[in-house]
Amino acid sequence: MADANAEPAVGSSGSNESVTKIEPIRMPTIEEIRAQDVWNNCAVKSVASGVMGGGLGLMMGLFLGALDNPITNDTMTGRQQFVFTAKQMGQRSWSSCKTFAVMGLVFSAAECIIEKARAKHDTTNTAFAGCVTGGSMSARGGPKAACIGCAGFATFSVLIEKFFDRHT
Amino acid sequence: MATPSPIPAGISKEQAFSMAQTEMEYRVELFNKLAQTCFRKCVDNRYKEAELNMGDNSCIDRCVSKYWQVNGMVGQLLSVGKPPM
Repeated sequence: MADANAEPAVGSSGSNESVTKIEPIRMPTIEEIRAQDVWNNCAVKSVASGVMGGGLGLMMGLFLGALDNPITNDTMTGRQQFVFTAKQMGQRSWSSCKTFAVMGLVFSAAECIIEKARAKHDTTNTAFAGCVTGGSMSARGGPKAACIGCAGFATFSVLIEKFFDRHT
Repeated sequence: MATPSPIPAGISKEQAFSMAQTEMEYRVELFNKLAQTCFRKCVDNRYKEAELNMGDNSCIDRCVSKYWQVNGMVGQLLSVGKPPM
């Protein structure tokens, strides 16, 4: 706050040690302000989220693609089986990467824009952004699927947010 | 903050200095009040993170802009009403 001074802090009540001095507040330099302002931008934030979502999707797709559909036919040699499995894993992980990247991008962009418009930091921002993401991703199945996707993804994102905030 | 205005004619150095001092005190008071008001209004008490969120930032932008505008308007109204006083 503006009226904070370098007052010495008192130690724990009952201790007779010398008081510890709080250092004065250091104003951020213009480079620090600019570096922080990069993350104030909604576009930068959503692209970074999309990239992270893509990475997560890659990992998940790789893992799940390996578990999917083990080959049991003996007509292929070991090497051919390996190549086939690798291609399947690659396809699966690429499609999963795209899905998760889009999901991360849309969610982050929606949350950023809603929070900027409301000028408040709340869980309702997360809920609305989750609804927008879920609705836009399942919009292909018609309005009913969009509503269900909206509600489901909003609940999911609120739960995840509460889970990550538990340690504070 | 506007560019510093030149000293009007017919005012001695001490008077100009005391005027500058008054002006400085006014500015400091204004800044302190502005920061306190907008902090109390915009920043949540629970202090979950050290950094300002996006919502806090836009709230602070709006608060400061409104405060400044109202301050300017009130100052103008007060200065207009001066001569009859």
